[in-house]
Amino acid sequence: MRLAETAKRLRLEAEDRLSSRTAQRVKRFVLGQNLNDGWLAKVIILAMLTVIAYLYLNPLLEMISTSLKSLSDLIDPVVGLIPREIDLHNYIDAWKGLRYPEAFANTLFLASIGSVFQVFSCAMTGYALARLNFPGKRLFLLLTIVTFLVPPQITIVPLYMIYHELGFLHTPFVIFIPALLGQGVRGALFVLIFRQFFLAQPKALEEAAKMDGASVFRLYFRIMLPLAGASCLVVFLFSFIWYWNMHYEATLFLSQGFTPLSIRLESLEMELIGNRALSFGEEGAKDPVSEGPRMAAAFLIILPPLIVYLIAQRWFTEGIERTGMVE
Amino acid sequence: MKADWERRKQYWLFRWKDYGVGYLFMLPWIIGFCSFVAFPVGWSVFNSFHKITITADGFQYTWVGLDNYRHMLFENSAYPIILITYFQQMLIIIPLILIFAFFVALLLNQRFPGRGFMRMVFFLPVIFATGQVVIELFSQGAGELPFMEQYRVKELAERFFGGWVEDAVVNVLQQAIIILWYSGVQILIFIAGFQTIPKTLYEAIRVDGASPWESFWKITFPWMIPFIGLNAIYTIVDLFTFPFNPVLEIVSRNMFTATTGYGYASAMAWLYFLLILILILFALWFTYRASKKGGYAR
Repeated sequence: MRLAETAKRLRLEAEDRLSSRTAQRVKRFVLGQNLNDGWLAKVIILAMLTVIAYLYLNPLLEMISTSLKSLSDLIDPVVGLIPREIDLHNYIDAWKGLRYPEAFANTLFLASIGSVFQVFSCAMTGYALARLNFPGKRLFLLLTIVTFLVPPQITIVPLYMIYHELGFLHTPFVIFIPALLGQGVRGALFVLIFRQFFLAQPKALEEAAKMDGASVFRLYFRIMLPLAGASCLVVFLFSFIWYWNMHYEATLFLSQGFTPLSIRLESLEMELIGNRALSFGEEGAKDPVSEGPRMAAAFLIILPPLIVYLIAQRWFTEGIERTGMVE
Repeated sequence: MKADWERRKQYWLFRWKDYGVGYLFMLPWIIGFCSFVAFPVGWSVFNSFHKITITADGFQYTWVGLDNYRHMLFENSAYPIILITYFQQMLIIIPLILIFAFFVALLLNQRFPGRGFMRMVFFLPVIFATGQVVIELFSQGAGELPFMEQYRVKELAERFFGGWVEDAVVNVLQQAIIILWYSGVQILIFIAGFQTIPKTLYEAIRVDGASPWESFWKITFPWMIPFIGLNAIYTIVDLFTFPFNPVLEIVSRNMFTATTGYGYASAMAWLYFLLILILILFALWFTYRASKKGGYAR
């Protein structure tokens, strides 16, 4: 009798314990061991990020939606983010207004050659600052950082005068020459990326090559530069994007003749008035007639870098980690 | 004696051959630095003390001393006012970007499904948020936070701050999303920064019985101070070409105005740079102080 009672009690206890263990397991699954690895925490993080991301990308979504709306959809306040019907008319206008094929070719030419030059010059400088030995190296490193901190507002006036004297104005040389000499868009940042990469390479490589009688140039071009392939790609991509989007320098140096896309957007309305007898309101006003084509044009401009980004996304995010600013 | 001298000469020749290669590698950069940075900066200083007129045979310089500056500061006071307004805005923009980037980086650093995608989303604006496209978007009113009008943020700011703070706050909030678009690189730097914190530190503090809240303030935050400083400087540099930076337009407009010209425009740019320099030095000093106090001399 007693034995049976004890057995029952024990069984109950065991059951109790078991269920509390499952409860614990559930609790651990939901809340996690730390603050940040439970299921609930993950849901909250994801929810927060989704909301922020939506707010963050809202202007972009609005831009795409506006560019696809027909005029009646634009005027109608009932139509929200999603247009009633997809109207590609704006894109045709924008294509004509930007004279897209020509401007696209110009921008592509500028951005790709400019960034190749920049990869070349910045890799060389980065290698010298990392591995070669000469007096004043620290000073040069410091000056590199200084170039990053000097605002373009300071140099823009003299540069305009210099380019004017040299006859570079409104030709692609205003991009190419500084790029070739390591001073293009954010050149200092790229020099630092390369320097960081070359610093991390083993010394034995150089020693072995020197033993075999290779000159520094041979060593650099045959061994070090090929090794830096990934860094070259990162720099190329960033440089390409920044050249593509370059606006401030372009408004001054490339405003006529050889104009990239970013300049064409400004003169879009003028172009369109010439092309089609559209009546536009005052500048800057939220004018539904010009809003559609303008948004379409903006989208056409950012589309190529967007595609580049989607393909090469991994290298972009890795790129920042390579800068060595993070040391 | 002579052999000794000869040997010395040989030695230096050898050393300088070595150095020469280094300089040869630096040569493109040095030429570029001299002709596109050092020389323009010097010329810009020179310009700012002159009045420049363009004649048939090139530029004509007339020494005016500090006249350009005096004119800018005391006679035509529009520019200093614009500059001060912009700096007030910047004092709000920089912390805003830093806090946002830090918060998002903190979230992105956790482990959850879809992390890669989210990282991609927050870096996306770096790809296209530049220049004309942003201005175009803003002119369509796309940069505002959607709840601005709903919650009467303007009235709230008016009640709590008043004066210039209110104007600056409202102005910044109206551009809030576009300003936050300039935090893509900063987010990545913060995420990379988080990776440098040794895991053992967290384990140690947990064993000591600290809550996650405490471990954030005792470990994560002090460790990240140098990165915050770095990001502050990056943000300042990034804002040079911020499309709503009024200095850009004013400088380039005054370049081509007959009454002001290159000299006056250079003086304007220098005034701007001096203020920027103060801001950068302040950021450096602040980082230095804070990281020393936190005990992580890096």
